[in-house]
Amino acid sequence: MVAVSSIPSSPSDLTYADLPWLIEHREDRCAVCGKCTAVCPVQAIQLTYRRQRIVGLGMLGKAKNDPSVNYRTLYGIKQKTDVAHRCIGCGMCSMVCPNEAIRPMPNPNDPRLRFHMNQAGDAWKRGGRRNDRDSLLDKIIFTRISMLTDPALDAGRHEFFLNTILGRILPPEEFLQRRAKGEWIPPTREIFPFIIGSMSFGALSPNMWLGLLQGVAYLNEVLKIPVVMATGEGGCPPWVLKSPFLKYIILQIASGYFGWDEIIRAIPEMQCDPAAIEIKYGQGAKPGDGGLLMWFKVSKLIARLRGVPEGVDLPSPPVHQTLYSIEESVMKMIQTMSMAWGFRVPVYPKISGTTSAKAVLNNLVRNPYASGMLIDGMDGGTGAAYNVSMDSMGHPIASNIRECYLDLVAQGRENEIPLFAAGGMGKNGNIAQNGMALILLGASGVHMGKYIMQAAAGCLGSERNRCNVCNIGLCPKGITSQNPKLYRRLDPDQVAQRVVEVFTSIRTEMKKIMAPLGRSQSLPIGMSDAIGINDAAAAERLKIRYIC
Amino acid sequence: MSETNNTIVIKGLNENGQRISSQEFEKLVQEAAERSQNLILHTYGQHNVGGRLLKGTGYRIVLKGPVGQRLGCMARPGVTVVSEGSASNDVGYLNIGADIIVKGDAGDGVCNAMAQGRVMIGGSIGARGLTMSKWNPEYARPELWVLGSVGDIFAEFNCGGIGVVCGINPKNAENVMGYRPCVGMVGGWIFYRGKTDGSFSKGDVKDTVPNDEQWQWLISRLPEFLEAIGQPQHLATLSNRDEWRMLIALTPQEKTLSNLGSMPMQDFRARVWEAAFGGDPLRDIAPGLDRSPIGLIVTGELRRRVPYWANRANAAPCTFYCPTHIPTVERLRLIREGKIEESYELTLRYTPFPASVCGAICPNLCMEQCSRQGVDASIDIAMLGRAVLDAKLPPAKPNIGNKVAIIGGGPAGMNAAWQLAQEGIEAHIYEKEEKLGGKIEQVIPWERLNIAIWQKELERFLRMPNIVLHLGHAVTQEDFEQFLKEYEYVIVAAGAHEPRRIPFPGSERVITALDFLKSVKSGKPMQIGRRVVIIGAGNVGCDVACEAYRHGAEQVILVDIQKPLAFGKEREAAEKLGAVFRWPVTTKEVTDEGLVLADGEVIPADTVMISIGDVPALPFLPDTVERFRGWIKTDEAGRTSDSRIFAIGDVEKPGLITHALGAGKRTAECIIALLTGKEWQPFKQQVIDKKALTTAHYCPTHGSGSSVTDEADRCLSCGSCRDCHLCETICPTKAISRKILPDGGYEYVSDDSKCIACGFCADTCPCGIWVMKQA
Repeated sequence: MVAVSSIPSSPSDLTYADLPWLIEHREDRCAVCGKCTAVCPVQAIQLTYRRQRIVGLGMLGKAKNDPSVNYRTLYGIKQKTDVAHRCIGCGMCSMVCPNEAIRPMPNPNDPRLRFHMNQAGDAWKRGGRRNDRDSLLDKIIFTRISMLTDPALDAGRHEFFLNTILGRILPPEEFLQRRAKGEWIPPTREIFPFIIGSMSFGALSPNMWLGLLQGVAYLNEVLKIPVVMATGEGGCPPWVLKSPFLKYIILQIASGYFGWDEIIRAIPEMQCDPAAIEIKYGQGAKPGDGGLLMWFKVSKLIARLRGVPEGVDLPSPPVHQTLYSIEESVMKMIQTMSMAWGFRVPVYPKISGTTSAKAVLNNLVRNPYASGMLIDGMDGGTGAAYNVSMDSMGHPIASNIRECYLDLVAQGRENEIPLFAAGGMGKNGNIAQNGMALILLGASGVHMGKYIMQAAAGCLGSERNRCNVCNIGLCPKGITSQNPKLYRRLDPDQVAQRVVEVFTSIRTEMKKIMAPLGRSQSLPIGMSDAIGINDAAAAERLKIRYIC
Repeated sequence: MSETNNTIVIKGLNENGQRISSQEFEKLVQEAAERSQNLILHTYGQHNVGGRLLKGTGYRIVLKGPVGQRLGCMARPGVTVVSEGSASNDVGYLNIGADIIVKGDAGDGVCNAMAQGRVMIGGSIGARGLTMSKWNPEYARPELWVLGSVGDIFAEFNCGGIGVVCGINPKNAENVMGYRPCVGMVGGWIFYRGKTDGSFSKGDVKDTVPNDEQWQWLISRLPEFLEAIGQPQHLATLSNRDEWRMLIALTPQEKTLSNLGSMPMQDFRARVWEAAFGGDPLRDIAPGLDRSPIGLIVTGELRRRVPYWANRANAAPCTFYCPTHIPTVERLRLIREGKIEESYELTLRYTPFPASVCGAICPNLCMEQCSRQGVDASIDIAMLGRAVLDAKLPPAKPNIGNKVAIIGGGPAGMNAAWQLAQEGIEAHIYEKEEKLGGKIEQVIPWERLNIAIWQKELERFLRMPNIVLHLGHAVTQEDFEQFLKEYEYVIVAAGAHEPRRIPFPGSERVITALDFLKSVKSGKPMQIGRRVVIIGAGNVGCDVACEAYRHGAEQVILVDIQKPLAFGKEREAAEKLGAVFRWPVTTKEVTDEGLVLADGEVIPADTVMISIGDVPALPFLPDTVERFRGWIKTDEAGRTSDSRIFAIGDVEKPGLITHALGAGKRTAECIIALLTGKEWQPFKQQVIDKKALTTAHYCPTHGSGSSVTDEADRCLSCGSCRDCHLCETICPTKAISRKILPDGGYEYVSDDSKCIACGFCADTCPCGIWVMKQA
């Protein structure tokens, strides 16, 4: 017979030892102020009372009826062990604790939670990143250091041209012929090669999205650094569409077409053209899987912006519904987008890293309207995806961009159609090094998303599954939440300021990389003789120098 | 070499008219310097002249003829080097204190890495002047004076040197400072006069005008410079302060700002960003949206959760699982408050038989889920029931003139009457037998219910006003039609007194449990044999077994087609007497041998009894009242298909005595509501989530208390505030306070302007009252 007071156990009951993050709480320091439990985004912690039995074990001197047992009650902060309220390791408790009494610590043991993230019949979904700290890009070293062999360049002294070209560059003779005849010349943009990758107004909170754009505007207007940012699918506030800042924005169109009615409606009132149009076919973080803005992030504002009803799931399917071939896609999407702005705006597709990237590229090369190609590698981040898509689908960016670039070289067209790389830029903080490594491998520029969230807005996520709950609208920093109670934690001015700091720093580091290479007046795109890697297999695959 | 008036002249050409090497020339100069401080050097492009004069001061070295590179290189203090004409590159390279005067122009790299001393140029200089010059604060600052202009990339990485560019007869009148001066300059002053292209390094220096101190420095030293280069005529021209500007190194703090742009972000937002939108960029699609920054710990409407004092919003398990919903936490609260009589009265308002039912025959469903079991053991509810035995009759309202007929004086009908009577409604009980009590009186063995207790509670029941008894009245169809005319409502509470049988062969040999138990209780027990088999091993079967043992049986076997349903006290009693349970067993027939099973086995028996339940016998009930398989169909109030006829107890569905009591109360309440024009509210509370309780505040006692006050202390008061003040105590912001209500009661309230939504109140509350709601 089971005692009624027995503690039940179900297959998904977990102990502390099963959780990836353990709360370390020091009762001797705790102020019992309630700030940690108030701030915890997932209510993983609570004030707990512990009844402790004090046993008197002395054999002698006991009164006959003395049970020798007393109890005392202790209290402290304790974490919950159910899946829904597991600690996500964000560390907000530590941030608000006045006494350094609490912090989440990674569990070095075997967190069995992993086997129970598939509750209620659905596989584990999350936001964030791959949880793989390994980065091939980090290992690429700039090996060619000019000293007495070349004119010595000094990053602090010389002037550098750091920008790149987005758009199709015609061969000189064709350019001159067309210009002489007054024919159409494909649009190009001179932009900073580090681009804020597509994150939608919706995936991001209003304060985050507008803070990013404000920083980008500052960089352009005050510091004259031509940084652009991509919107992601989901539209753009009408006042922004009609503002002079539109020229710093790459508008994205994806299979959901969210927000495009408002964009088309605003075209006659636009003061300037957008920087470019990005057609999203794939995303590195979840290749072959579509976008999804979950219903609780579809606030009144987001609904209005996207031109949809409030509080419904907004899926962007993995495939564009009426496209069946690359040729058709190019015809329908690229031509339509080009025509919308009178063929004055570069239009390029974004695909996820894939072994079929070269096939896509070769179709684009033959298309006069294609302005470039962006490959998003598998280390990219996202607001929401199935864990399996994030961890195991796609292609790393380095060899993918490299083979595409070498393919262009073989055709002698590497200067005509720019390749852009994304996915895992600066995952360990080395943003300029990672980006420049890709540029030397053949990219004309790189897109970064997670890095800018971490650096500009204090995103707590990490490659060790810290936080990574962007998908449920509870972002403790207010970056990916649509709840004003959370996103008002983010001051757009501070985000903008950090964006400025990030880009001026990238600018400095680019110079520190380029000066020793002896390059100051053009970006060293494809200058692969200047890099090496301490990995023979990677060196062979990337066709760069093996170093040790 | 020649010597006059202590002046030594050295020529750079040998006697053959050939240039001597820099190394040999240096040797001659060193020898001469041993003897004289005044040297005239007819150089012929020899390098590094004027340095390394290692002894003494007061040297004056005048160069006549083409000057080589690095004039005055590593020159020391106390040395003056004068070139009567122009000089080549790197004049004053690594100079540590000499005055070097070049009356003509000088090439590139003037003052490169110079640390002290002065270089004065009577013409203009080439590129990279004053680069890497240093100021060692132990000595005077290095100075470079140029009458004309300077070439490109002037003063790179200058670290404290002073440059003066006078702009007289410049090489390029449009730009006296050359392209991009002052890159990496970290200290020092550059005075200049004349036009520039503005290409100076804005990340390193700022363009300004001399302040008084700086102007004083300049104007006081200009005459000496002009005298040195032999052009004093320019003094008036150069004395116009308004024509002079300066490039001054930024401080490291200023440089950081310069990296980030000159405009503070707040200014940018106001002057550029919002100006471009004409206001907030979301004002059209989200009017009035407040996006202003907030902190992490917030109060009021910014909280994501808010505490709610849900006192008595959820039912305690005891109340919830009791079919009568006796509010045990409430009666224990009254006991804790010393209001014993009020507590008992409260109990009696719910049931007339707390001692007989709660205290004896009830399996106490209320206690199966008692939260106290999480600490030690459930509350002893039976003791609480028995404690009410001697309590006074609760007061009843005066007769309000309504009448209800109740057919059947069993527990269901009696509690219905008890409830109606308290509200002043005349309840007429029509009982077929001569005694009230139904199955309590007729069937349940006195071993399980002390007859004295029953009689005492029955007497109390009979003292209740507004109850009219019609004993020995078997209701007929005609009676029933009459009831519908005389009474506002009719409650059918006739019970189930028709035993169920199974028509297997020999079933006529079988005694029903109901008949047997009734015969026992009536004092004329049926005769039974030594070996008894009972078909149906439920709790009634157990009662039968016990009574059989008491009336001569030596061996009792209970068989069932399924796992026996018997539980609790009844089963324990039967097993204690030796009863055996067998299952699964299918009966084929009953013979004089005993029970023949489907597989042919015979369980020998002298007497076979059947205890598989009873069904209602309702000959008086009109056919218009809908039934299902013999039981009357009712709604949640017990109302039948005829809105004036209710059915309660075993006529509705088979159940325990406690279910019958509960049904009686429920239906009575519905009728009371109907008769008094109120809306009837069924019991709708949810049972409290045990996780909401904080049980660690209680210490285990391992076992029930020995008194009602012990039990009152042990009660966790699930869902009902114990007024312990713990929430008020734990609240870190003093948001929670206890407020006295006008009716003398109290409530705990949380001040929204203080609460930070930490949830401590909910985490602390022993009773699960405080809950955090999403806001």
